[in-house]
This record gives sequence, structure tokens and C-alpha cells, in this order.
Amino acid sequence: MSGAPELTAETGPRRIWVLIEQQGGRVHPVSWELLGAARRLAVELDADRAIVEAVLLGQDVGAIAQEALRYGARRVHLIEDPVLADYRNLPYAVGISRLVQAHRPEIFLIGATSLGRDLASAVATRVETGLTADCTELTIDPKLQILAATRPTFGGNLMATILCRRHRPQMATVRPRVLPLPEPLPPAEIRGETRGEVVRAPLGLVEAEVPLRRLRLIPGAERVDLEYAEVIVAGGRGLGDRDGLPLLRQLAEALGGVLAVSRPLVDAGWVSVEHQVGQTGKTVRPKLYVAAGISGAVQHRVGMSGAGFILAINKDPHAPIFQIADLGIVGDLYEVVPALIDDLRARRSGGDDGR
Amino acid sequence: MGADLRFDAIVVGGGPAGVAAAITMAKGGLDCVLIERGRFAGAKNLFGGVLYTHALADILPDYWSRQPPFERPVTEQGYWLLSPDSAMRILHKGECYKGEPAAAYTALRARFDPWFAEQAVREGVLVIPKTTVTEVRRDDQGRAIGVATDRPEGEVSAPIVVLAEGVNNLLTQQLGLARGDLPPRYVALAVKEVIGLPSAEIEARFGLAGPQEGVAIDIFGDATLGLPGTAFLYTDTKAVSIGVGLLLEELVHHNLRPYEVLARFKAHPAVRPYLAGGTPLEYGAHLIPEQGYDRMPQLVADGVLVVGDAACMVDALHREGTNLAMTAGRLAGETALEAHREQDFSARALRAYRRRLAESFVLKDLKQYRRMTDLLDSTPDLLGTYVNFINEAAQRYFTAHGIPKREMEAEILGLLRERRSFLGVARDLMRLLRGMRG
Amino acid sequence: MHAVVAIKQVPDTTNVRIDPDTGTLIREGVPAIVNPYDVHALEMAVRLKERFGGQVTVLTMGPPKAAEALIECVEQGADRAILLSDRKFGGADTLATSYVLAGAIEAIRAEGPVDLLLFGKQAIDGDTAQVGPGVATRLGVPLITYAIEIEAFDPLARTAIVHRRTELGVEVLETALPALLTVEKEIAAIARAPLPNLVRAARYRPEVWDAAQPVAFDAAKLGIKGSPTVVGRAFTPAAKAPGEQIEVAALGLPAVIERALTRLEAAGVLAAGPPSAGGPGGGP
Ligand SMILES: Cc1cc2nc3c(=O)[nH]c(=O)nc-3n(C[C@H](O)[C@H](O)[C@H](O)COP(=O)(O)OP(=O)(O)OC[C@H]3O[C@@H](n4cnc5c(N)ncnc54)[C@H](O)[C@@H]3O)c2cc1C
Ligand SMILES: Cc1cc2nc3c(=O)[nH]c(=O)nc-3n(C[C@H](O)[C@H](O)[C@H](O)COP(=O)(O)OP(=O)(O)OC[C@H]3O[C@@H](n4cnc5c(N)ncnc54)[C@H](O)[C@@H]3O)c2cc1C
Ligand SMILES: Nc1ncnc2c1ncn2[C@@H]1O[C@H](COP(=O)(O)O)[C@@H](O)[C@H]1O
Repeated sequence: MSGAPELTAETGPRRIWVLIEQQGGRVHPVSWELLGAARRLAVELDADRAIVEAVLLGQDVGAIAQEALRYGARRVHLIEDPVLADYRNLPYAVGISRLVQAHRPEIFLIGATSLGRDLASAVATRVETGLTADCTELTIDPKLQILAATRPTFGGNLMATILCRRHRPQMATVRPRVLPLPEPLPPAEIRGETRGEVVRAPLGLVEAEVPLRRLRLIPGAERVDLEYAEVIVAGGRGLGDRDGLPLLRQLAEALGGVLAVSRPLVDAGWVSVEHQVGQTGKTVRPKLYVAAGISGAVQHRVGMSGAGFILAINKDPHAPIFQIADLGIVGDLYEVVPALIDDLRARRSGGDDGR
Repeated sequence: MGADLRFDAIVVGGGPAGVAAAITMAKGGLDCVLIERGRFAGAKNLFGGVLYTHALADILPDYWSRQPPFERPVTEQGYWLLSPDSAMRILHKGECYKGEPAAAYTALRARFDPWFAEQAVREGVLVIPKTTVTEVRRDDQGRAIGVATDRPEGEVSAPIVVLAEGVNNLLTQQLGLARGDLPPRYVALAVKEVIGLPSAEIEARFGLAGPQEGVAIDIFGDATLGLPGTAFLYTDTKAVSIGVGLLLEELVHHNLRPYEVLARFKAHPAVRPYLAGGTPLEYGAHLIPEQGYDRMPQLVADGVLVVGDAACMVDALHREGTNLAMTAGRLAGETALEAHREQDFSARALRAYRRRLAESFVLKDLKQYRRMTDLLDSTPDLLGTYVNFINEAAQRYFTAHGIPKREMEAEILGLLRERRSFLGVARDLMRLLRGMRG
Repeated sequence: MHAVVAIKQVPDTTNVRIDPDTGTLIREGVPAIVNPYDVHALEMAVRLKERFGGQVTVLTMGPPKAAEALIECVEQGADRAILLSDRKFGGADTLATSYVLAGAIEAIRAEGPVDLLLFGKQAIDGDTAQVGPGVATRLGVPLITYAIEIEAFDPLARTAIVHRRTELGVEVLETALPALLTVEKEIAAIARAPLPNLVRAARYRPEVWDAAQPVAFDAAKLGIKGSPTVVGRAFTPAAKAPGEQIEVAALGLPAVIERALTRLEAAGVLAAGPPSAGGPGGGP
């Protein structure tokens, strides 16, 4: 089906698909972020004919299908089968590829999670189309009327906008948290719309055909939900010493946030990679990001520039972090941070006293 | 040890000296292995930047057709004498420097060394990178029989070992051929930066007609705070190489950090405009052995030849090193070939290497300038004093003050006398002359 | 045991610089290395060879210069190295790359059985992590991405147990062989190669395969022609307008803290504090 001359049917819906990623009944929020983006893209692409649809695979995931409708999918393509209980590449890739071949979506978005990246390439290979990995920005090219998927390359030193001109669907994986999480629609609104529907499809594959079994899952020892934290206090090499970390933890506590770090601290073995923000770490989108003793290298910035408010503390008035900080404090973090902690605590206890 | 770990000769070090020796031996039919500790030959090597082609031509007569990665031919050379705020420039440019191949080219070691090593591979040398030789293995009579390296199963054997390990000559010391570490008064520490600029910009700034022209400038005086040492500014294809070198002892004595000296030099009003707007591409530091003819290590032992910087073959006055290293490498290679023909690897037989060197410019030049280091060492402020004087004299000379020229000349002489007695001047001149004549 | 490892020569992106004037990448002088994850993939293969006997084949698609990377793999213990090099391969995206690699692996399998295919988790120049899954799909072999450990490996029973890291934890998977693994660095720590390997590598010349020999590739699926994706535009990340900058040295600490808290409050980000406040010195 590759390189089909007729790329866009003259009539009929133009489908923008989003994979709803779930494991054990838990949806990865990137799925909702993608539905939000898909709704925006639909308007940009073709307000009349473009529609957003979700793809959902698993077992006993009907409730999730309903939720997908609330996040703006007009239709959910649902495959439920015991073979799909745990994620495995083959049955998922087979199921999804068949759906793609049957419905020919124009755009297909998948979260750049370990599941999504495992799956997306297998699907793209099966349907022989282009796939852009790890995007940070999606738009419709106004002239070409196709998806313009922007992603960092060369260690984040360069951004590239990738186009897929002649193959469909145009596939992209998108990092969690680079797109905003949309508000779900109120339930009434979906019920009012007759178009919200769940369409079931068979998998067409039996367990015996899958050459891989999951024996067990060793749960992650340490789960740091940086991606979804509201407040992050991040420290960099400017801490000088691992003994500086408790100070930042105190600030994080005082602000109700969590601790993150730049890569050198991970490389030095002070904290686990779970805490790393940036190109090779996590992308975060907190309301407040405090960067203490972080120079603001491009590889760090790509992970946190989407923060609502950036407070940077750095000795060097020319540190690049100040270019993106909403408020930059030029000073020694060992002076500034304790003072901040004191004031925050004083405020809080002051409030208590007043009660 | 398997047969494939037995060779006719082992070369330690993939700099100009080692590669020259390896090529010479391979051309003569020896099965030769060259062991280099860097990721590739040249990975960590650094020099100022002028390479003389005569030594290369002696090793590879067809080197030009092998497209060596030179930067620019040196078609203009000279000296700058810097006072803190002015410069006396003496430059020589002429048609004599043109012609292809030229007598000298600027080069970057990170590009030249891999090319040179590649030529050795073409001649049949087995080049082993990322491996450090840790010891020269000897039999119970003290004859070299091979080397040990820092790798598992890391021994190779050969009846002859050429030590081309450069200035940090640990193996040469291990064998007792050099006496201990280099004394800080005879070793210079040089730092260098390569600053990227568009070639058209370089040509405009240095007054060059195009990429077929280049400049090599050696700089004295304020560049090294008037202390004995040199600085340089060379044009590469799309960059300029700039650096300073000072004797370690001076650095320690005056509590100077080399990169600060370089930063200060780069900011000099006569230098800054040449670098403006450039992007730093490379930065490095390297030692230069300047102990001179009288303190050179022994050059041979049973089954061992020492070549290049490892044997302190540097003519610091003329910033020559690579050509001495290559020539020594070639002569060592020729000696090794002879030793294989005679099947005699004893120190006595290998002493032919030293005789060959003595007949060449290598030892002749080193001998002639044997007193230079001591001269500068005994009068460390000599350089600064005279350079500043020359600059001030020039300033008086070139500006009309409305005073008779005779008075001006007297004034200039007065400037000199303020600094140094006539007797002192005469003595300095004598010593300089003696230093130059050998 | 026969393991095939796909490796890629990449620029060392830790050394990449951007020309401040033109905004383009300075490629010159950037050292080329074997993609770091691939080095660990190869190490895993070499360990298996040491345990079970057999051979390790390395494979790369790239320009002639990529032969250097293959030589490094022979230093590390690969027995055979194949360079897929042809102008027609140039400009390939991950779909076209996986087509060529899969074709080459088919040809290797035609010569004799292959038990394991090892890939890096991703190549650090593109960071796509797409080629491994693409090749597994084309070959129809089980895929395990982000592998961190091979717990069991049985070339006779043709099964293996592999650990794979995901956001949820570590999945322990049992797979049939041959399987394709894309690996994290933890899969195997790099050991220093013995000298005889380096001597062998210095003498080794990789086999070069082109678009016609020994595999006759379909020209329409190669290189730029066979690549659905194209780079529309490349640019350096835009800087956002700088905000307010205040100096402790100029204003004094108390004024700076005061200003900071005012700004944070105005931005509405202070409310997030935990209700159960109170570190030391908190309420009564
Ligand atoms: C391919 C690639 C991927 C990468 N991925 C990531 C990534 O995911 N995440 C990441 O963070 N990095 C990443 N990096 C590394 C990145 O390039 C930078 O090296 C790193 O972000 C720098 O960390 P830093 O700001 O903590 O340290 P530095 O750059 O050393 O900055 C320390 C700062 O602290 C300041 N400082 C020092 N003392 C004090 C003090 N007492 N008070 C206040 N300020 C002080 C200094 O002025 C300086 O600005 C990556 C690099 C590459 C090449
Ligand atoms: C700043 C500076 C400017 C200079 N300018 C000039 C100039 O303009 N013109 C000029 O002709 N000369 C110049 N020189 C001098 C010139 O660089 C040296 O004289 C020349 O490089 C000596 O060559 P070599 O082969 O003896 O040593 P090197 O070039 O130092 O090579 C030694 C090699 O041996 C390797 N090695 C060392 N130990 C071991 C071991 N144990 N096992 C394996 N490998 C080992 C090293 O990695 C290195 O590659 C300059 C030097 C400096 C520092
Ligand atoms: N040109 C290539 N030749 C051989 N292997 C490759 C090539 N490109 C990618 N790979 C392999 O695929 C992995 C993932 O690469 P990528 O999908 O580009 O991030 C790498 O770690 C390699 O193992």
C-alpha cells in the first residue's frame, strides 16, 4: 500500500489517529496529550472533514475507550483479546497494522514511551510508511497540508522538521509532556454527540503464534514522577558536592515539589537517572521549575523549557539558563536557597499563627 | 606467544619519529608493528604547526602525490617583538617561498599524524592503536626481546625496539638511558589554541593572496611577559594557531598559569585583531624537551634505539622538532635494517645510528645551539629588556617630536643605557653570538 | 552460536558544536565513534561466544569510512565484519535502512543459522530507536527492545530469557530464538580487548557488499528513493525572550528573596505547597 498515488480521498473523513497506551488498565497520560494535539491538528488540516480517532488494544479496556471519547476522540477502534493482556510487540503490531490498512488514517500519533517506540516502528515497517521519532512539536505545514513533525537531533544541538510527503499514514511518536494535557470534555457533551462511538475489531491472531511470553514483571524500585510534577527543584554541577542535595530537597519540600538534576550529577552517581531532566532524561512541564547551579546547556533546556515559570539561581550572570528564566537570581545558591527556604517556612508558619 | 605476535621490529609511539622509523623498516622489508596509546596516531598530539618537507621527502619521495593534509604553505615568516603596548614586526615574504611542494607547511597534528600513520599502513606496517607499551622486555643479558602492553595477553616480541615515545620518555628512563624525569629548567610547557576563521577572513587579515599563501610568526617579549620562551601565530586553512611556551621552571617561579599567559597574549592590542570573531576549535598543552645536546639520553642499548622527542631532539630556537624526529626515525630505521642483515642487534652494532645522526643536521644543529638554553637561563630578563628597548626606540624614531635627529639618537641610546650598561650589552652580544655559533 | 550485531558509526555528539554565525553544525573535526549502545551489544555477543563457542558477525550500512568502525568491532572480538556500502544506500531513513539490514541478515542466515540479532537501543546521531524494531518486523523474528540482561540463553533449545526495562519496571520475557534485541548499556560492561584481537583487527579488511552483490536489493526501496521521510528544515532551537534578572550583589539577599517570592506568588506557583507544612521551626 505504500506510495499510493491517491493520498487524500476527495471525499470522506480524513482520519487523525492516536494510540491510547494502556498497561494493566492504566492509561499513559501521553495518550490524552496526543488526543489534545490531534484535535488541534484536525482544525488546522481540514475543519470539515478531519476527525480524531483513537486506537485501543488490550483486554477488558472498555472503560478506557469511554475515557478516550471524553478526551475528544470521535471514534475508538477497539481490539480486545486475551492475547493482548500484556503488551507484546507482535500481536499489538499485527492488530494495529490491520486497522491501519482497513481505515487508512492520514496521521497516526503514538507516545514516545518505551511501549510506543517499540510498537511504532514495527507498525510503520508493516505498512511501509514514514515514522518520525520523539517529536517535540507538531503542526500542519500550511502550504503542503501535511504533518510537520519537529524533533531534536544531534544530541539536541539541532532541531529538524520532518515531512512524510507521499506515504500514509504520517506517523510520529511524541514525548510525554511536550504537549499540554487537555481538559476532558464534560460527560454530557459526549452523550449529546451521536458520533462518539466504539468500533470493535478482531485481533485475528492466537497465542500459539506469538513466540514470546512475559514471565514476570519486577516493579521499578524507584518511581519518580518527574514528568507530571507541578513543582520541580533541580540542581546542577554548581552544587559542587553531593552534600548540597539535601539542601535542594528541603527547598523542594518547602515548595511542595520534587527533586531533579542535570546530567553530570547522574553521571557522577549522586542520584539515579530517573531524576535527570533533559535530552537524555525526562521532559518536564511543571508550573514551577527552579534551576540551581545549572548552566542551561541546550540538552538540559530541551527537557524543561516548557515549564510555566522558571526560576534560575546561578553565580554566573551570563549563564545560558538566564536566557529562558522568567526570574534569574545572580548569586551563590548556598546563600540564596537557604534564605528562600527560611522565608517559605516563615510564611507558612506565619499563616498558621494567624489562624 | 603465537607466531603472529612475533615481529622483526617494534616501534613505540605513532608520532613523526616512530612513523618515519616504521616506514623505513617496512620499505626495507621488515615485518614491523607500531604501537600507539592514542585512539589513533595523532589523537592527543599537538605542536605549533610548521612542518618541514625535506625530512618527509627523504622518507617518502612521492609524499606529494599521497596528498598530505597540510594547512597552508609558509610563504611569509618573521618575528614580532612585543612590548606591553606595541610591536616591532620583521617579516620576510618573497617569491622564493612559492613553488610546489613548498619547503614548509603549517599543519595540525590531529590531521597530519593519522595521514602519516596511514602511509605506514600502506607500506605494510601493522599499526596497533589504543594500546600503551608499559615495559621493554629484556632477556637475562639485558637485550631487548619485545615489549609488554597494558592489554590482556599483551606481549609482542622482536629483536629490536624503537622508542619514539615523545617527551614523556618513561620507557627510555626505565631502561636507564635517560636520567630520571626532565628537570623543569630544561622543559618548556606550551599551550596552544586553534581558532577557526573563514579562510577569506584570514587572507584579508594577514594580507595573503589566497589559500596558496600562509604566514608563520614567532613572537618574543611581552607574549611571555618578557621571560625566556616563545609565542607563535600561524595561519592554517580555516583557522589560526596561536600559542605560548615557557620553561616549566619560569612558570613555577613566577607562579604563572600557562592558559592565563595565553589569554593575556591573545588580548595584546597587536594580536587581538587577528583573532577577533574566531571560534575556538581546539585547545591543548604539550611539553617541549629543551635540555639540549649535552643532556640528551643515550641513543642506543642492546636491541633499542631512541628517536625524536624521547631523545630530546628539538631545536627550540628554530622551532624545529618534527623534521629532526623524522630524520632520526629514518636513520634508526636504516640502522635496524642493517642490524637485521647482519643479525647483530647489540648496542655496539646499533651505534651506527648515532654516527649517522652525527653526520646529519640533527646532531650538528643540536650541538651548535648547545649553549642557548643556558644563556637564556642565566639571563632570564634579557629578552624582555631588549624587546622593550627596541619598541621604545622605534617609537622615538618614527615620531617627529620637533627635536633634531641627533638628539633623538642620543635619547635612544640613553634608553638603552637606562636598562643595561654598555659593558652588559657587549657581554650579552658576545654570549648570544657564542650561543649561535656553537 | 552465531550472533549478528548491527552497528553504526556516528559522530561523537558530545563533541558537536554549532557555528554561532551560521547556526549550522560543525561536522569537521568531530570524531567518529561506534554508536555507544552498539558497543555494548557487541560485547554481549562476544560474551556469548566465549561461553558457547561460535562466531560474531558485525554489520553496518554506511560510507566507506564506516569500515573503521567495523575494524574497532574486530578489535573488540567480532570474527567477521560486513560493510554495506553503495551510493544508492545514501540518504536512507529508518525504513530504508531496515530494508537493507534485513536483506543482508537474510543473506547471512542463508549461509547458516543465526541465533541472535543484537542492536543498540538507539543511535546517538538520530536517537530514533526505529531500526532495530524495523529489522525484527521485516525478518519476522521476536523483538525485545531496551534489553538490560540475558538471564538465560540456550542455543540448543533455541530459547532465551531476557530482561527489558520499561517505565513500569523490568519485564522478564521468554523468547524463541533467533530473536532481535535492542540493548541498553547495562547489557554488558565493556572489557578491555586482548592484544591479539588488535593485531588481528589491524590486518583485517571488512567484506564490502553493495546494492547488487551478494544481495540484489530493490533499487526503489533504497536510500532517498526508498525513504518516506525527508528533512524539511533544520534549525537551532530558538531562544525565548529573557525574563527579569536580579543580582544578590547589587540588591542584597533580603531584597532578592522578597522579589523572588513576590514573583512566584504572582505567577500562582506557590500554592502548590503541601498542606501538612512545617519542617523544623514550623507550627507548634
Ligand atoms: C548527547 C547529549 C545528551 C545530553 N543530555 C543531557 C540531559 O538529558 N540532561 C542534562 O542536564 N544534560 C545533558 N547533557 C549534558 C549537557 O550538555 C551539559 O553538560 C549539562 O547539562 C551541564 O550540567 P550543569 O548545568 O549542571 O553543569 P555546568 O554546565 O557545569 O554548570 C554549572 C553551573 O553552576 C553555576 N554555579 C557554580 N557554583 C555555583 C554556586 N555556588 N551557586 C550558583 N551557581 C553556581 C556555574 O556558574 C554554572 O553555570 C547532554 C549532553 C550531550 C552531549
Ligand atoms: C607547542 C609546540 C610547538 C611545536 N612547534 C613545532 C614546529 O612548529 N615545527 C616542528 O617541526 N616541531 C615543533 N614542535 C616539536 C615537535 O612537535 C616534536 O619535536 C615532534 O612531535 C616529536 O616527534 P616524536 O615522534 O618524537 O614525538 P611525539 O610527536 O610526541 O609522538 C610520540 C607518540 O608516542 C605515543 N606514546 C608515548 N608513550 C607511549 C607508550 N608507552 N606506548 C605507546 N605509545 C606511546 C604518544 O601517544 C605519541 O603519539 C613543537 C612542539 C610543541 C609542543
Ligand atoms: N546504518 C546502520 N547500519 C547498521 N546498523 C544500524 C544502522 N543504523 C542503525 N543501526 C542499528 O540500529 C540501532 C538503532 O538505530 P536508530 O534507529 O537509528 O536509533 C543502532 O544502535 C544500530 O544497532
